[in-house]
Amino acid sequence: MIEHILSLLIAIPLLGALAVAAWPSQRTENFRIIALTALVLEFLLAVFLYTTFDQQNPNLQLSEVSDWITLPIGTLGVVSIDYALAVDGISLPLVLLAVVVLFVGVISSWNIAQKTRGYFALYLLLTGSVVGCFLAQDFFLFYLFFEFMLLPMYFLIGLWGGPRREYAALKFFIYTFFGSLLILIVMIGLYLSVIDPLETARAVGILGMDDAVHPELISQIQQWLIDGKIAPEQIVHTFRFAYLADPGNYIPGSLLSIASEYFIADTPIRLLAFWFLFIGFAVKLPVVPVHTWLPDAHVEAPTPISVVLAGILLKIGGYGFIRIVFGFFPIEAQYSIIPLAVLGMISIIYGGFNALGQSDLKKMIAYSSVSHMGFVLLGIAAFTAEGINGAVYQMVSHGILSAMLFLLTGVIYDRTHDRRIDHYRGLIGVMPNFTIITGIAFFASLGLPGFSGFVGELFTLMGAFQSNALPVWIPAVSTLGIVLAAAYFLWTYQRMFFGSFWFRNKDLQVLNDLTLREKGMLLPLVFLTILLGILPGVLFNITGPTVKAWLEGLK
Amino acid sequence: MPDSAYVLPAYLLLGLPFLGFLVLWLAGKSLNKFAGWIGVFLTAIGLIVSLKYADPSTLHLVKFDWLTIGNTAISLSFRFDTLTCVMLAVVHFVALLVQLYSTAYMHDDPNLHRYFAFIQLFLFSMIGIVLAESLLLMYIFWELVGLSSYLLIGFWYFKPRAVWAAQKAFVLNRIGDAAFLTGILMLFYYTGSTDFEVLSLKIESVSPGILTAIGLCLFGGCMGKSAQWPLSGWLPDAMEGPTPVSALIHAATMVAAGIFLLARISFLLTIDARLVILIIGTITMLSGAFKAMKAWDIKRVLAYSTMSQLGLMVVAVGFGSWQTALFHLVTHAFFKAGLFLSAGSVIHAVTPSQSEAPFDPQDMRTMGGLRTKLPITFICFSICAGALAGLPFFSGFLSKDAIITEGFLWAAEFGVLGYVFPIIVIFSAGLTAYYMSRQLWLVFFGEKRFEVSPSVHPHESPIAMLLPIILLSVLSLFFWFSVNPFNAEGWFLTFIGQSEDAHLAWVPIVATVTTLVFILLAYRQMQTNDPFDTKASSVSISTPEKQKLTWLRDYSQEHYFIIPFVFITKYLKLFEKKVIDGFIDLLAKGSVIFAHLIGWIDKTFVDGGVNLTVFAIRSAGQAARSMQSGKIQSYYIVTAMGIFLLILWLLML
Repeated sequence: MIEHILSLLIAIPLLGALAVAAWPSQRTENFRIIALTALVLEFLLAVFLYTTFDQQNPNLQLSEVSDWITLPIGTLGVVSIDYALAVDGISLPLVLLAVVVLFVGVISSWNIAQKTRGYFALYLLLTGSVVGCFLAQDFFLFYLFFEFMLLPMYFLIGLWGGPRREYAALKFFIYTFFGSLLILIVMIGLYLSVIDPLETARAVGILGMDDAVHPELISQIQQWLIDGKIAPEQIVHTFRFAYLADPGNYIPGSLLSIASEYFIADTPIRLLAFWFLFIGFAVKLPVVPVHTWLPDAHVEAPTPISVVLAGILLKIGGYGFIRIVFGFFPIEAQYSIIPLAVLGMISIIYGGFNALGQSDLKKMIAYSSVSHMGFVLLGIAAFTAEGINGAVYQMVSHGILSAMLFLLTGVIYDRTHDRRIDHYRGLIGVMPNFTIITGIAFFASLGLPGFSGFVGELFTLMGAFQSNALPVWIPAVSTLGIVLAAAYFLWTYQRMFFGSFWFRNKDLQVLNDLTLREKGMLLPLVFLTILLGILPGVLFNITGPTVKAWLEGLK
Repeated sequence: MPDSAYVLPAYLLLGLPFLGFLVLWLAGKSLNKFAGWIGVFLTAIGLIVSLKYADPSTLHLVKFDWLTIGNTAISLSFRFDTLTCVMLAVVHFVALLVQLYSTAYMHDDPNLHRYFAFIQLFLFSMIGIVLAESLLLMYIFWELVGLSSYLLIGFWYFKPRAVWAAQKAFVLNRIGDAAFLTGILMLFYYTGSTDFEVLSLKIESVSPGILTAIGLCLFGGCMGKSAQWPLSGWLPDAMEGPTPVSALIHAATMVAAGIFLLARISFLLTIDARLVILIIGTITMLSGAFKAMKAWDIKRVLAYSTMSQLGLMVVAVGFGSWQTALFHLVTHAFFKAGLFLSAGSVIHAVTPSQSEAPFDPQDMRTMGGLRTKLPITFICFSICAGALAGLPFFSGFLSKDAIITEGFLWAAEFGVLGYVFPIIVIFSAGLTAYYMSRQLWLVFFGEKRFEVSPSVHPHESPIAMLLPIILLSVLSLFFWFSVNPFNAEGWFLTFIGQSEDAHLAWVPIVATVTTLVFILLAYRQMQTNDPFDTKASSVSISTPEKQKLTWLRDYSQEHYFIIPFVFITKYLKLFEKKVIDGFIDLLAKGSVIFAHLIGWIDKTFVDGGVNLTVFAIRSAGQAARSMQSGKIQSYYIVTAMGIFLLILWLLML
């Protein structure tokens, strides 16, 4: 089992989706139980993955590679798409986060009442694609999972959402699809410019099928490539991340070759490709100004989908920045660090101010997400060990905290179908446990030491200060974000929870405290945010070696 | 030097209050009866531990590894030195007395367990600040102190003003903390560490300009916590919290954390940074003193006075003498805590037995003549007030005197303009004497104005409340700090390492004379027809609306901070809606219009073309079909024509 653990992580939810779709009975419980079973298995596998993972090893681990499509297309070379999965210190934390959040999400889906078969089938499909996204080591496979996420997400918002669900779902879809298109263009460009050295060696004939691979061989092939000794029809093109990240594999004179002399509108084409990819993932993160799908999607999405959206989907943007945008275009990235960091700074401040101005609780949290994900961009743009580690940490921390915040919003929305902050006052009187857990979530989110949010913000900022390329004022202005966070969270807390109890719709006697199920969802997240806040090493030990090796590889 | 003998006290000092917090918080109301005594007990142990391990002459370090990222290794390390000895003793001692006092003062509160839990949480974080060996660790505890302050100010969460004040305190502190964090991270960048031991070695390598910037950023933290102008607005509002909390946190310990921070980092403050600190401190000192002269709320007078005194301590740091600042911090901790606890005793005494809306038990206009009813409180309050006013034979005289002396020594080096600052300090000391005389008179002398409410029956407080007050007022006498009541250079300053022994003999005389002049001015006010405008302003007390306005005395202060925020927020929200989303919508609408246009073209031309083709084919078909009429003759003709054409074609070949 151990050699196929990653495939299993993807296969289990997909099989679950099939099972839900094909189950003969119409009873809602069955679908729920299938979904829950799939995620319990997924969770156990993830725990097993965590224990098998070698934290000292900075390389890709538990790799599974098999040829998927190999197609000679004459002078254009050979199309080769691999089914390649692996984890390293950057993707493992995100896979674990994904499983935890999706697991909590399925518990939170318990009281979805309509069209449950469709709901749970789509939810499991989403689960499989999200996990696949973090595990894929082939750009084509990644893109496939990336696109595959959109479909269930579109329907989950569009069918089970709030009053303006169609608008929100469409907005979400078009925004993200626009981003995907930019990614697709660059992906094709990269594909045409990069060779798979091993397969090419086999095609040329200097490597037998069963021969051992040694590093000299690869450099020999790369030298041949530079000398033009390889015939075009022998070149095997590839989508593999590992090959795309190695400058030696780029065909001289090709569109995106390292020394490419193609220009579009006086801009080097590689720089243009970098920005295309960046925008593609920036939509996902989201970065101001391509963020406006997020508040709408969050407000309209049902609670579990908001949880998954904020908890996981946004992180694919950050993951894409590290793995793909910076991984394949490090020189262009270094060249563009300042605008990127400024965008991060703007997201932090702009998101913070907008959060302060909201009267809808869910929208407030959505904008706080924009602000918090700005720290991720800032940390990545810093391009230092502290910054990248901090960015991954901030993603995990935000995943836990935003999941908590949306679950808490769901708690109140389930009871009253009213999310307006100014429609409540003094909730502490009727819902004391709810108040305490919300307080923990708010203080953790505003970066109080002892909770995970603080560590993420501290290290992204520290990374930005450590970076020699960034002027000091960018992180210095960004620290204003922590002031804004305190302002909007505490103001909301004061307005909704303190004072004497009052609710706009007085005859509703439904404001009872947290149920056992709700506590069951929230308390593990509370535990995680405190654990990561006190012992950040739990996460940094995983990311540290990989990030170090990754940075050394790029420089 | 790492010292394994100090691992145990580090664990005990931090662990006990944290344990106390968890136990009291989680145990719930069942522990209400014993909560106070558990708190007192834990703090007493803490006091014993901190005294037993007091070893001021040597530095002890305790280090725990936390994490390593990139090239930055971060450890959690704690230090025990002279400064920690002093602070640990003060914090534990005041906390012990305040908790003892609270057992009586808060006795019928339904959430006692929470109250004492939060006090333990506060102690945990405050002790963390004191013991922290690195600025980063200090920042962590710094924020936790902010949290416990938030929880304690907002302890009566059903009072909207209290919750608002709690939130205001936290947010204003956060502004300072953002600067503090920036300073810390800049230090990491320039020196690679924020451990004080490492910093003191490496600080030479940083250029002075950057060091000034770093120093001022770090001072930002002090501006928040120690309520320096312009971040001072939260301190008077924090008086919404329970009075013992005001005594412990907002007078004696937490607000002193900023001064403690400055004392710790004094070695990296450049001359330019000191000058800015001096100016800010002076503004705070004066504005606090002036506001204290006008306030009517018994606790607010003390809060403004705290602000002013904190300004004085900051000024002392600006003069380059953190030792005298720390000296004043210690003396101030005792007499100000004593004043707050006495004020609490007064409030306790005049709180009406039935709740009456218009009667405010904290308003000094409804007090007066209480000295006969509360003799012990009166004596203790007077002693502490004397110390605050800087009268001879009291502790405050010594520390204030020391600061003024340092000021003149500093000015002698700085230049003529520098003399402005020590002179302002003397003037401000005079103002202090004035407002304390005013308060003493309004509360304890004059006519008994509390009789406006029939259910007020002043009575002396129980022993659990009086004992702490008495102890604190005894500690406000001179002999604890220096044998000679006119010379501050006693054992205490020697203990904390004040090296200069310059003593200006005329300073105490000038200061005393100034103080006496201002007391005389206050005395002349007492002799007038309407002393301190009590009657003129108390006309409004009876009407509830006006009463509400007096409650909102400092409410307008929020505007300086809230209005720009609201402004930016409003316009950014509009920007979001109109510009960004507007652009997206325009794009969407444009696409739809374009799509319709394409649709029309498609329908008219492309489809038209197709239709035309179809039409043509159909017509041809029609034509062809008409030929197949079923008539033999026409078939014949067609066949004949065909054969004819075929022959023609063959012939042409």
